[in-house]
Amino acid sequence: MRRQRKPCPITEAGIRYVDYKDDRLLARFITDYGKILPSRLSGVDARHQRQLSKAVKKARYLALLPYVKGQTG
Amino acid sequence: MAKLKIRRQPARRYEAVYIFDSALEDVTIAEKLEKFHALLGATDEITIEHWGRRALAYKIGRHENGYYAIAHFTIEPKVLPEFERAMKLDGAVIRYLITLYEHELGAPALSDEELEARRRVTDDDDDDEE
Repeated sequence: MRRQRKPCPITEAGIRYVDYKDDRLLARFITDYGKILPSRLSGVDARHQRQLSKAVKKARYLALLPYVKGQTG
Repeated sequence: MAKLKIRRQPARRYEAVYIFDSALEDVTIAEKLEKFHALLGATDEITIEHWGRRALAYKIGRHENGYYAIAHFTIEPKVLPEFERAMKLDGAVIRYLITLYEHELGAPALSDEELEARRRVTDDDDDDEE
């Protein structure tokens, strides 16, 4: 028995290209610690997951997203 | 050994994001941007989008805030090293990122019908995965 695959949330939103400057969008696809959420949990399709992972890494470099979240000190 | 021919590289469209020291005044930042962009010899007009001051997601050195500015320009790749050098030497630039402006690349957006058709196809294929 296989569970039905979730529709890709990025495709659903009509986004062709994931922009690294859109930190609000990217923040939906990272965990509480700031890791990139696996596509098996988020349902993002493979093409968008590839774009997403690059975008998150660029956004981290530009301090739009943290490398590690919930860190003290 | 075969000699490599140096080909003239075509101009490409780039996007640059700069993070300036937020303690600087807006006028100073605009001046600096102008100075950097003068090095580029851009073939078209340079568009600048100012995000302004915002908090950094983590501290960079002693900085907790930064002034974000985004520029788009079409230039020949060979001018980039000098451009980057100028920014590295300038203490006012906390960080910068130059990327190809990729929104322009790739096929045009799919229409709703195409999207629907594609979704049907992927649903059928689903059993192959995992």
